[in-house]
Amino acid sequence: MIGIVTSAPARTILHVDLDAFFAAVEQRDRPELRGKPVIVGGGGPNDRGVVSTASYEARRFGVRSAMPLRTAAALCPDAIFVPVDGRKYVAESRIVLGIVRRFTPLVEPVSIDEAFLDVTASAALFGSGRDIAVAIKAAVHAETQLTASVGVASNKLVAKVASDLRKPDGLVVVEPGDEAAFFAPLAIGRLWGVGERTRAALVPYGVRTMGDLAALPEDLLVRGLGPHAATLRARALGIDDDPVSDGGPAKSISHEHTFDVDTADPEAIERTLLAMADGVAARLRAAGLMAGTIHVKVRDSSFRTITRQRTMPEPTDLTEPIWRAALELARPEIRGRRIRLLGVGASNFERPTQIGLFGAAEERRRLAIQASDRLRRRFGDGIVVRARLLDRRLPAPFERDVMRPVDRGTLGTFGREREKVEPVEREPVDEDVRFLDASDEAP
Amino acid sequence: MKVSVMQENLARGLQIVSRAVSSRSTLPVLANVLFRTEDAGLKLTATNLEIGITCWVPGKIDTDGAITVPARLITDLVNSLPSGDKVDLDLQGATMLRIRSSLGETHIKGIDAEDFPAIPTAGDRPTSRIAQGVLRRALEETAFAAATDEARPILTGVLARFEGATVTLAAADNYRIAVKTVPLLDPVEDTSIVVPARSLTELSRVLADSDMPVDIVLAPARNQILFHLESIDLVSRLIDGQFPNYQTVLPKGHATRAVMDRDDLLTAVKLAALIAGTSANIVKLQVGGAEGDAGTGLTVTANAEVGDNEGRVEASVEGDGTTIAFNARYLTDVLQNVDAEQFALELNGPLSPGVFRPIGDDQYVHVVMPVRTAS
Repeated sequence: MIGIVTSAPARTILHVDLDAFFAAVEQRDRPELRGKPVIVGGGGPNDRGVVSTASYEARRFGVRSAMPLRTAAALCPDAIFVPVDGRKYVAESRIVLGIVRRFTPLVEPVSIDEAFLDVTASAALFGSGRDIAVAIKAAVHAETQLTASVGVASNKLVAKVASDLRKPDGLVVVEPGDEAAFFAPLAIGRLWGVGERTRAALVPYGVRTMGDLAALPEDLLVRGLGPHAATLRARALGIDDDPVSDGGPAKSISHEHTFDVDTADPEAIERTLLAMADGVAARLRAAGLMAGTIHVKVRDSSFRTITRQRTMPEPTDLTEPIWRAALELARPEIRGRRIRLLGVGASNFERPTQIGLFGAAEERRRLAIQASDRLRRRFGDGIVVRARLLDRRLPAPFERDVMRPVDRGTLGTFGREREKVEPVEREPVDEDVRFLDASDEAP
Repeated sequence: MKVSVMQENLARGLQIVSRAVSSRSTLPVLANVLFRTEDAGLKLTATNLEIGITCWVPGKIDTDGAITVPARLITDLVNSLPSGDKVDLDLQGATMLRIRSSLGETHIKGIDAEDFPAIPTAGDRPTSRIAQGVLRRALEETAFAAATDEARPILTGVLARFEGATVTLAAADNYRIAVKTVPLLDPVEDTSIVVPARSLTELSRVLADSDMPVDIVLAPARNQILFHLESIDLVSRLIDGQFPNYQTVLPKGHATRAVMDRDDLLTAVKLAALIAGTSANIVKLQVGGAEGDAGTGLTVTANAEVGDNEGRVEASVEGDGTTIAFNARYLTDVLQNVDAEQFALELNGPLSPGVFRPIGDDQYVHVVMPVRTAS
């Protein structure tokens, strides 16, 4: 942290998190599932996929998100397995977002089932953070019959931990000034950015709780763990000044795909990257943007996640250059590994200023692409398909999160570490895709 | 195989062929140099499958044979031997090369020569010949303009258009193009090929700055071009595809023409690039007076967050005054690679291509596309 203390007035931030979201939606719509252990994900107990969400009844048996379905079936033999219905959850999620936006325009959806709200300026209209949290919980329940857990604090970091503390249907308020005291007794693993590796590195220091971490001298930590330890310690004190982003203009566009079964097949990997590059390019064109930077995300079967990025020789909104960059970036990272997830993203939007030499040919190609874009808009994505993607059972590319225009933080300070600890995959809208909904799971 | 060669001859040969060694290949034998006795000496060959270089090293052959050994290791080894030494090479068993010198002996494990890809050498009658110095200079003035990224593979090559007694070389990326026409020693049938710029850069390293000819052998059926020098053969694959019609992008006329010393402009651009390089690397040229006002001289400016720069260059300007912005690198590239005392810069307003012509060489033209600026 840069060490200038300012006396900015305390913010009021809410973190709203739907409880066991996918399972809760299924239990609401199918009364026979209520009170029963429900596991959302894949094709049933013998499927090779993983658990997207488990109802609280199933969690009592130890079933967790991202767990192989077979393991879940073994732990909870009476569980009822329900396939993922992405479209339904997205529709539901939109309703909830509509509700929270009545209280503030500063809403940052983090994923399909959680969002940060900055309600600092809403106090005059709707009352305190607690009042707003209570009103939101009531409205969500009245309009969707779902329950949400809400954390109220002076920043996102603390609000997120607070919402997680009394799930389901929880409400935890941390008053300004109490952040460090609130964090102190909590296990270090609850801290955003602390994964297995960091936890292991902290063991020699005797760190178990956030209080233990906060009590250590900063210089000692930095010597032992590297420069990010200073930020880590500040976070353990509940300090975080990350603003709630209400979207604004998109900073990046990305698509991700989780394979049903981890794969090492180069053809499948190349085709998936192509499909995603195609999707990213189409969205860039739809938004009238050109991307100067392309990134890829590769997660292998051991959940090791790597992101790599490259600055393009010129900004682009076309599939081929994006695909080529993605391939080159991904290739060294996929060798010899079984791949679980791939992502392709574009950022660093800029206007091309360098005038091209062979503009005429480029212009014709662009016209052809624009024509196929129009066809797709009018008749659906299937009307024009790249030959390489023809006749393949590959899910259409989709956004990382349909409601989240900005992929903030994916390339953030904690990089790999943070990616690694995120046990959550949230990819909406596709039947072929397994949903993981682990955010509301107690760690 | 048993052969004796002089250290300096072997070291030179290895240095030449090792330029073609594949640094990262899945085929282990491509990291090796092929040693083969031939005629009155030792033939060294290396290839990365795009380019193959063969070099003949004079030596005394006792028995014929062949072996491939790791290029890096043998090159480092031979370079470490005293010059003036006689180096004896002989095969121990099928794949072990023994290297003996005054310093003792070394054994290096190799790979069977049979595993090495066949690399053609000159045997066919040359398609044409060209003076080495002429070709070398033409390559230096063009090949740098080729694209380095593979977005359009054809642009990573240099077009060679043979027409009668001349060959025209053209290299372009998306934003600039360099074109040079030079005389051939033998007239040829009209034909066009595209040679990877990387291959030509290697070729220009081995070309002498002299009137000695280099043989060019075109074997279109095999999709290769071969250059034959006295003791060196360089063969390159060709790039398939249609090179863009560069003639359509060469401006026909100009509204503004400035002539200045190459060094003056280069120095001014380099200075401006120090500032420009901290952001988008864009430098602006003000040629003549502002807004159509006839004036003299040329001003190079750069503006960035860190500061700004303005440099004056003496120039004789004809026509309308104008401003134009370029990526500084494209300017330094042409000014550094083309050997001329003076350049003419021809312009048609801020959004049209800028044409650089070295004064005294009407066979060379270089076109740079401008950058659109906010103001």
